[in-house]
Amino acid sequence: MNQPLAPATVPSHLNPVHIDAGNRTLAEMQDLASSLTFAAMLTDDGFEIVHLNGAHTDGGRFASMSSSVQALSDAVAHELKIGTNEYVIIASELGHVIQLRVQGHPIVIAALFDTHETLGKGLSIARIAARRMAELIA
Amino acid sequence: MSEHVVLFAGPMGSGKTTAIRSLSEIDVVSTEATNTDRATADKETTTVALDYGEITLDDVTKVRLYGVPGQKRFDFMWSILAGRARGLLLLINNDAPDSVNLLIEYLSDFRELHERGAVIIGVTKSDVASTPTVAEYSAALTAAVPEQLIPVFTVDPRNAEEMRTLLLSLVASVEMRELLAPAPEKI
Repeated sequence: MNQPLAPATVPSHLNPVHIDAGNRTLAEMQDLASSLTFAAMLTDDGFEIVHLNGAHTDGGRFASMSSSVQALSDAVAHELKIGTNEYVIIASELGHVIQLRVQGHPIVIAALFDTHETLGKGLSIARIAARRMAELIA
Repeated sequence: MSEHVVLFAGPMGSGKTTAIRSLSEIDVVSTEATNTDRATADKETTTVALDYGEITLDDVTKVRLYGVPGQKRFDFMWSILAGRARGLLLLINNDAPDSVNLLIEYLSDFRELHERGAVIIGVTKSDVASTPTVAEYSAALTAAVPEQLIPVFTVDPRNAEEMRTLLLSLVASVEMRELLAPAPEKI
């Protein structure tokens, strides 16, 4: 089946190519980790592109918060002159959020894992997903 | 040295980041992202968490300047930062559709802050759109908040002197409010 086409100037959250790629990537993430309780792709400025398992989470609000967290983390890395911020982890009692950028695109993947997943494996899966998304929209 | 925390709020494209950059004595901490919503504001980047700057007034008053994102989807940042502020500098771009009602809407979103602190309105981009006038904004504010006199100025956020005048007025209002506040009861 042909991929839907969209001009490069269309924002990711309205771009059918990016939406299709995002859905495929998140589904593949879920296959790798049943502990993935929620995941979203969002634009740098906080618009949700796609999400997975959103029954109990407000995807739009999560996207906005993830965008702010990503930008604040970037600002801290910049302020401390410690190079580019690679990923953000929020480790909590009942789960952990891992988020990172899709290389070369103003897109962030944010994933919530339950505590059955180790942080290391969660991060590894999130990295694989970011690379996969970059390949699909290249 | 006394310290104040002032919040810069207002719609996307009203000039909050520019205003803080005009005023700040330190390198401004910015959290800008590529703006994908060019229909709302035709600019390259937009603030998604906060802007932070500092300025010292009269050698004795330090003012911490916090800017919040303009879009309502970031209103959780509004609550976080409004909680620590005592003054609100609300910017409204005169070329925004229905800007008078938009101003009243934003003011209502920050009601808790301006009720306990002080607020000043800065109308920006009046060189781009000459109406509504300051009088029209003032009339709408009087109707919406009859118990409070809220000053309205036109201002260019790129102009440090104009912004400083606005900030000084706001800080004076905050200090006046603190002076007039009833003293805590002695036990």
